[in-house]
Amino acid sequence: MARIELRNVRKQWGPLVGVSDVSLTIGDEEFLVLLGPSGCGKTTTMRMIAGLEQPTGGTVAIDGELMNDVDARDRDVAMVFQGYALYPNMTIYENIRFPLRMRKVPKAQHDGLVRRAAAMVDLGDYLDRKPAALSGGQRQRAALARAIVREPQVFLMDEPLSNLDAKLRTAMRVQLKHLQRQLKITTVYVTHDQIEAMTLADRIVIMDGGRIQQIGTPDQIYADPANTFVAGFIGSPPMNLIDGTLEAGVFTAPGIRVEGVHGGNGAMREVTLGIRPEDCHIGGPTAHLTGTVYGVEPTGEQTFVSLRTGRDLIEIKAHRGFRAGLDSTAQASFDLDHLYVFDRANGQRLR
Amino acid sequence: MATTAATTAATTAATTAVEADGAASRAAPGAAPRLRPRRPVQRALFPYLLVAPAVLYLLLITLYPGVYAIYQSFFVVQFTQWFPTGFDNYTLLWDDPDFWAALWNTFVIGGIALTLQAVIALTLAFFAYRDPLIRGWRIIFLMPMLFMPSAVAFLWKLAFSDGRVISDLLMGLGLVSANIDFLGNVWNARLMLIVADVWQWTPFLFIIFVAALQAQDKEIEEAARLDGARWGQIFFNISLPLIRPVIAVAVVLRGIDITTMFAKVFIMTQGTPGGATETISFFIYRMGFRTFDFGYASTAAALMLVFTIVVAQVLLKQFFRSGRV
Repeated sequence: MARIELRNVRKQWGPLVGVSDVSLTIGDEEFLVLLGPSGCGKTTTMRMIAGLEQPTGGTVAIDGELMNDVDARDRDVAMVFQGYALYPNMTIYENIRFPLRMRKVPKAQHDGLVRRAAAMVDLGDYLDRKPAALSGGQRQRAALARAIVREPQVFLMDEPLSNLDAKLRTAMRVQLKHLQRQLKITTVYVTHDQIEAMTLADRIVIMDGGRIQQIGTPDQIYADPANTFVAGFIGSPPMNLIDGTLEAGVFTAPGIRVEGVHGGNGAMREVTLGIRPEDCHIGGPTAHLTGTVYGVEPTGEQTFVSLRTGRDLIEIKAHRGFRAGLDSTAQASFDLDHLYVFDRANGQRLR
Repeated sequence: MATTAATTAATTAATTAVEADGAASRAAPGAAPRLRPRRPVQRALFPYLLVAPAVLYLLLITLYPGVYAIYQSFFVVQFTQWFPTGFDNYTLLWDDPDFWAALWNTFVIGGIALTLQAVIALTLAFFAYRDPLIRGWRIIFLMPMLFMPSAVAFLWKLAFSDGRVISDLLMGLGLVSANIDFLGNVWNARLMLIVADVWQWTPFLFIIFVAALQAQDKEIEEAARLDGARWGQIFFNISLPLIRPVIAVAVVLRGIDITTMFAKVFIMTQGTPGGATETISFFIYRMGFRTFDFGYASTAAALMLVFTIVVAQVLLKQFFRSGRV
């Protein structure tokens, strides 16, 4: 069982900085998700844990042992790749058996272990086929079986579900989480999909520009974002971020006026107000916002409404029966308990 | 008639689509392309027209001489006079010990040289392909291949000749006590040809193998490393089976080339000692241009052609079947 510690880890390729100053402790048996847009350094961070990438600076330790100079093959980590990386010349059975052969597990145990791993991921009757003869979902399962067959200390998963279609992805997500709980193996999971991150993670690490933006449980990340990046990245549709001014608890922007906003010291300052679409209501007791209807998108279970105010486009989650003509005037109110105020200069939350 | 109707229908549909498209995007940038109907015959002929120059060229430079040689193999040729002999040349050749010796020499020299080349090239490729700087230094490695075959032959002839570099080196190392007469011994003479050929052509296989190894999916290598495989294990378990078709093609190409080895034999050994280094090419040359028996030489060439085609086909098929992913 394993605790992973990253201390001030940096990765640079010449002048190009991939990861700068990442410090992070991943607890034993934890399911940790690295979340961020492409190019944010999440995959590089994971590859440094795997040993596939050498950190430019800082230390990587597993269970207190320094891993910087330990070769990837000696780290006892298993990885599931985005492209599955199955060995095309071997059958699925041989693919799953490969780590056992390489790690000199006694031959007599091979068959039992391979079949157990295959059963765990519901691989079914495909053991004698070559990877090319399998569908994406089956290959994904085979790659997973290969990773779990020798019960490594650490699982690393690099966007393992992103090549699957939406329905299969949802099914595999549930299965992955279940499997991880069952095996109790520390897992680091990289994704750019916030839904995957929210549903799978014990804790989420949000990265951008090679830096950690926030670490927290899915609830903390959703309810208590540290800055505008996190606020705008989590949620679907994302949080509305409205630039305006805050003075003595009154927020104003063109077409928007909200009283009783907490944050700041009362002096006038430039801020960004954050409000999630689900915390806005069409109509409501007090009109905080007046705008024209820019778009109405019914999805069946709810209706998304975009209102154009003077400068901004505000997304609102309305009742599923709500309909309005384009360019008609509408008013909306905000839930004052769920307002977030950020410093406009640096994007940090003002509490 | 049906074809014409279908074409007309298609044309009409296309016209309608263009018009509809034009209407939708009001001011389409640029005018709609002019519709130029072509007759089915024109459509059918067009591809052949495109490949015609290449085919004609190939026919002239390869097929014509080949057919000419096969035709000539049924004659006794005395300069300008041709006497038809039927299959006499073939029966004579079948009973000619020199021909069989030449075939055997070609097989032995070519086989050993090719095996050495493939093994050395693969070994070097395995150590080199992960070097990020290989693009820089591989040109040095390729130089032997860029030399003229006759230049290479002369170079090695000088190196091997009596009392020169090779003998000197071996004596300096204390491995032999006297100069070696490389042409005085069957296997020494063959060794000269083998060494020269390996030196010249290993780079050819090397660059192909390096390219094949570098084209592998990097993720697969990384997966294997995390599964606990050493580089050698990755190579034998994964890389080698995957690049097998490439190896097959490269080795067959080289093999076809090596069976026609001529310049080295001509310059370095002239078939000595006692015909032990006479390859098929040199045999054909000797029959044609020393004894001026062109019909007989053509017969050997024709047989060799058939032989090469058969061997190459069998080898390729074998490799591709087992190397299939």
